[in-house]
Amino acid sequence: MNQGQADHQADAMQVVMIGLGEEKFALDAGLVREIIDPVPVTKVAGARAFVPSVINVRGNVIPLADLRIRFGMPQPDDSADTRIVVIEIELDNEPVLVGVTADKVYEVTEISQTDVQQTPRVGMHWKPEFIRFIAKWREEFVIVPNMERILN
Amino acid sequence: MSAMDPTEVFRQEASELFEVLEGALLDLGQRPDDRELVDSAFRALHTIKGSGAMFGFDKVASFTHEFETAFDRVRKGEIKPTQELISVALAAKDYIRALIEDPQSTDDIIGDGILDDLKRFVSSDQPAAPVAEIAEAPPLAPVESKQAGWHLYLEFESHILRNGSNPLDLLEDLCKLGPCFVVPVTDGIPFLDEMEPEDCYLKWDVKLHAACDKDAIDDVFMFVSDEMKLTLSPLEHVEAPAPMPLFLLLDEEPVAEMPAPLVEAAAPPAAAAPVAKAEPKSEAKSEPKAEGKRDDRGIATVRVQAERLDELMDRVGELVIAQARLTQLAASGSDLSIKMIAEEIERLASSLRDTTMGARMVPIGSLFGRFRRLIHDLSRDLSKPVEFVTTGEDTELDKTMIECLADPLVHLIRNAIDHGIEDTATRSANGKTEQGRIELAAVHSGAQVLVTVKDNGGGLNTARIRAKAEEQGLIAAGAVLSDHEIHQFLFHPGFSTAQTISALSGRGVGMDVVKRTIENMRGSIDLSTRPGQGTTVTLRLPLTLAIIEGLLIRVGEGRYIIPLSAVEECIELTAEDERSRGRNFLNVRGNLVPFLRLREIMSSSGSPDRHQKTIIISTGETHVGLVADQIVGNHQTVIKSLSKLHSDVTIFSGATILGDGTAALILDVAQLVALAQSKVEKHISEAA
Repeated sequence: MNQGQADHQADAMQVVMIGLGEEKFALDAGLVREIIDPVPVTKVAGARAFVPSVINVRGNVIPLADLRIRFGMPQPDDSADTRIVVIEIELDNEPVLVGVTADKVYEVTEISQTDVQQTPRVGMHWKPEFIRFIAKWREEFVIVPNMERILN
Repeated sequence: MSAMDPTEVFRQEASELFEVLEGALLDLGQRPDDRELVDSAFRALHTIKGSGAMFGFDKVASFTHEFETAFDRVRKGEIKPTQELISVALAAKDYIRALIEDPQSTDDIIGDGILDDLKRFVSSDQPAAPVAEIAEAPPLAPVESKQAGWHLYLEFESHILRNGSNPLDLLEDLCKLGPCFVVPVTDGIPFLDEMEPEDCYLKWDVKLHAACDKDAIDDVFMFVSDEMKLTLSPLEHVEAPAPMPLFLLLDEEPVAEMPAPLVEAAAPPAAAAPVAKAEPKSEAKSEPKAEGKRDDRGIATVRVQAERLDELMDRVGELVIAQARLTQLAASGSDLSIKMIAEEIERLASSLRDTTMGARMVPIGSLFGRFRRLIHDLSRDLSKPVEFVTTGEDTELDKTMIECLADPLVHLIRNAIDHGIEDTATRSANGKTEQGRIELAAVHSGAQVLVTVKDNGGGLNTARIRAKAEEQGLIAAGAVLSDHEIHQFLFHPGFSTAQTISALSGRGVGMDVVKRTIENMRGSIDLSTRPGQGTTVTLRLPLTLAIIEGLLIRVGEGRYIIPLSAVEECIELTAEDERSRGRNFLNVRGNLVPFLRLREIMSSSGSPDRHQKTIIISTGETHVGLVADQIVGNHQTVIKSLSKLHSDVTIFSGATILGDGTAALILDVAQLVALAQSKVEKHISEAA
């Protein structure tokens, strides 16, 4: 069974497809804890721009990160489609829960590793270290972000 | 939950016993005549020995046994506990601890050396006056005492084997007291098909031919006394000449006080067994009832894993938050019965919170006890005689805080002895007593606990601290600073004024760590000193780490919590103060109090409220006003820490969840003030 899983992982990856601005991002489904509707946020004065606030998720106060700031995108107001994706990442070897604002959450799907494209060195205005790789999904290019890097 | 490793349980138990033992030994150094102390030391030793043997720490058991034997003369009052003896006893205690915690690091030779020392001290002729005759009496004298031995009848509860006790071991111990004539009583043995293999059916009839103390016999059965019936009666005549144990005490107790002599149960031989076959069941039933009452005292305390208490505290925190939401909801509705229920729950939740917090509280005395050894050793090593006084041992603090406090206090005490207390020559030259004095005190003060370390040494050398600070470029030469401000440099990383680096202090690491540790506990540290009189370090600590009383304020759209312990008073900002831009000072009853506009710090949007409020807070000696739009009121604040992603934001010490489910940030008052000060300095330097 372990073998099967490993094989499975080798060519496919479970992801949660989210939309940020005009782009589609694929978050590793293994990181995602839950997806919630927008909640009131509390601004943290003096915090770095990409983690401007905290929210209450089931009694835990967790930071709310805005990837759009990291990728230099405009930040429209919350719409009916806006969601918060709660992910768990490792920071300094400690698990940390972080909320990520998504303009839209599409679906949980699989992307195939064989569709992985080399991150092009030119033609991008994003820091290459923020991107794990770019994959093709339904004839579209989707970005698989490196969350640890983005949030550190 | 998995069962705990029994060895681990023993280790935990032993470490508590060591504290008791050490405390008793050190007290004994001060009050050599206190019988209570000797007894408590002895009890601790005995328990360590007993459970050590039970858990297979044979070396521990045998060493402790030797220790106990040697110490026995002290217990019997034959010799006085001298300082030397205490020191050796402490070394012996350390050795036992090492045997338990890290057996590899120990060597029998060390143990033997300690035992030799011990024996030398206890055998050297220094009998205490009242018992001199006994000590000098030839060892065989007690044979002439009134009775020559004991007749024992032992009846164990049937389940005794399941608890790990072995009656045979006990009998063996008994035999060590003197020659025994042991006859098993077999009339309780049932037929084979009724027999429970794990039950004990045998009873014993023992004639002990030794003129030992009744206590010695009781000691043997100390751990099973609740699970057995022991009937003791003195033997009337000498049946065999008894070789005597080394140290004997004349029987002080009159024979009349002995339990009633047992029925003439002169060991019925095995043949009698079948007669009694019907009895065992009824007997087994009646016994537990009879013994049941005695078990109560074991239930007084329960060991609980600290993690479980933490979990409980978390749940209570959630409950308090949920309850606050309920209260808010009920208050906005008009349904009276819901309001009543909300009030009821509020009361229950708050008493539950208090109880839970109480369960985590431990008296600080357990911590203070550890330092007595430290001071004892340091004062010997530095040849500075020091009297150590503790007060307020009963003051209770959250268990986690007690653990966090240990290191800082060790540091402060070391500093006090090493730097604070002068050597004897200097002291007498200054007309002080040769013996220095260090006071460790804990006292409740509102929602805080104050822990002070006070020495009567030379005090801080303000000039030298200043010179050092200038040398390290921390301040400009000639800058105007108050003494209080100069003393703050002691908390600067890498700052040390000690001219020589000793093994104890002078490396300049430490005071900054102390300060950081205390601040991590949301506490603060104050120094006060009087030249030639001594130094007092005061640690101000919150009662608990989990829930605080807070003042909820509103600044623009945001709501914030100020720890109530920091709040001095709330006043309204006058229109005149409000208008001024250059001069951010208030006149509070004649005192100048600077203030900070929280709207600016929080970069709030929107227009400020018409009547701005000022909350005067205090950190250390500084009073600062914080200007907010609105003071909402008291808030039970369950503290949630901020994540790593916000660790760069220092002005908030954490967050909490308000009644409506939103998060609110808790202001770190000390950091706010520091931030404001650095801003002012920047502003001034820019202006210049």
